[in-house]
Amino acid sequence: MPQTTIYVAPRFPGTLGTTPLAVATVELARLFGRSAALAGVSVNVEVGRTVALLGPNGAGKTTLLRLCATAIRPSFGSLAIDGLDALRHPEQIRGRVAYLSHATGHYDDLSAAENLRFAATMFGWGAAEGAAVCDEALAGVGLDPVAQDRVGTFSAGMRKRLALARMLVARPSLVLLDEPHAALDDEGMALVDQLLGQWHEAGVTVLVASHQAERVARMADGAIRLDGGLVAEVTGAGVSLGSSVPTLTPQVAATGMDR
Amino acid sequence: MRELRRAAAVALAIARKDATAELRGRQAAGSTLFFAALVLLLFGFALGPDSRRLTDAAPGLLWLAIVFGGLLTVSRLHQLEADDGALEQLALYPVDRRAVYAGKALAGAAAMLVLGGLLLPVVAILYAIPIGAAWLPLLAAVLLGAIGFAAVGTAYAGLTVRLRAREVMLPLLMLPIVAPLLLAAVKATGAALTGDPLGELGSWLQLLAAFDVIMLVVGAGTYGFLLEE
Repeated sequence: MPQTTIYVAPRFPGTLGTTPLAVATVELARLFGRSAALAGVSVNVEVGRTVALLGPNGAGKTTLLRLCATAIRPSFGSLAIDGLDALRHPEQIRGRVAYLSHATGHYDDLSAAENLRFAATMFGWGAAEGAAVCDEALAGVGLDPVAQDRVGTFSAGMRKRLALARMLVARPSLVLLDEPHAALDDEGMALVDQLLGQWHEAGVTVLVASHQAERVARMADGAIRLDGGLVAEVTGAGVSLGSSVPTLTPQVAATGMDR
Repeated sequence: MRELRRAAAVALAIARKDATAELRGRQAAGSTLFFAALVLLLFGFALGPDSRRLTDAAPGLLWLAIVFGGLLTVSRLHQLEADDGALEQLALYPVDRRAVYAGKALAGAAAMLVLGGLLLPVVAILYAIPIGAAWLPLLAAVLLGAIGFAAVGTAYAGLTVRLRAREVMLPLLMLPIVAPLLLAAVKATGAALTGDPLGELGSWLQLLAAFDVIMLVVGAGTYGFLLEE
């Protein structure tokens, strides 16, 4: 029987419900020079879910988070945050997203309170409201006793706590965390876990990249495992492989026709 | 109107933050002033004790010192953002990036104005030039020059802050652009010091103001793209 090679798009692997998507990527790619840090990722994350981003160094976790934060632009593909296209509406997205990166982004010559009040102004808080929100956030991360100390005197762990306080001031709908447990002592790590729980309860979507797979897995609804800039595996609830451009998978089919 | 008020609040917050950091890092600000004053002193040595020659050269020397000091100032104001990834955080705030530019340019212009204001009496003392009667046009020239220099410097510092060779690239890119500003500022300062015998002071100040407006518009329009990686 003669055989013909035809090409079909892969079946849609996810079972999406009606829950809106906080993050939706289609063949999202980012190149740095000639190297692809992300090489075509199509994933969906439902609103209100906590999703772990797992994978070895260089897998593309940080690049995916930075793309979601609009810190960098995609080279190819598309990305939508809360239904907003990242290329068309970056400013609106920045109003919804809070990103914790490896660098904490503080000013050393300013005190912790001054750093946070500056952030509050940038997030659109008025003077009186902003001061109250900042005090609450500083207390929330345990930095209220050193609020008037300059950040230049802070340890790496204290700087990270202050960055977490800034995220609390932002009141985001999507939280992006890159190695949030790094540089923290046990108490600090417990604080991160507590905040993850609070955000989950409040219906905030969280994407958390971490090498501490077990610790994060306890808090997460689902997980995306990246490897070499591609999705290696998607597990758990609230996350699925996204619709993608047909990848032209060869499939051998019998046509039943003699030629 | 509400958006404009928000943009003004953002710009003022950035300028205040930069001013606070600059004042607390007194060592750097003091060093810039000392460096600029030293430049004036060395020019004085190079030109010799001829008071007429010094008086003729004073406007040019003053502005060269302001430009050298200004290069250090605008570079330092962006270096604040480069430390600990603050520039990326600044770019991620949900604000109009023209307001971010306005804030950084405002801080730069204020620092330059202070630098120019402090260098004027240094010039008066070192080169024995009476500036008392001409203080108002001199201040206008320094103010307009400071705004123009900060407008260009903020945009170029944003462009070069991520480069390894930023200390070299900033003057290389910036100095050709500020050449018209330097010319107009020197001429305006010279006219102010000599009592404006040819009645040209107003024209030079107008040229400075036009340069400022053009550079502020261009800078505000391009700064957002410079923050992108």
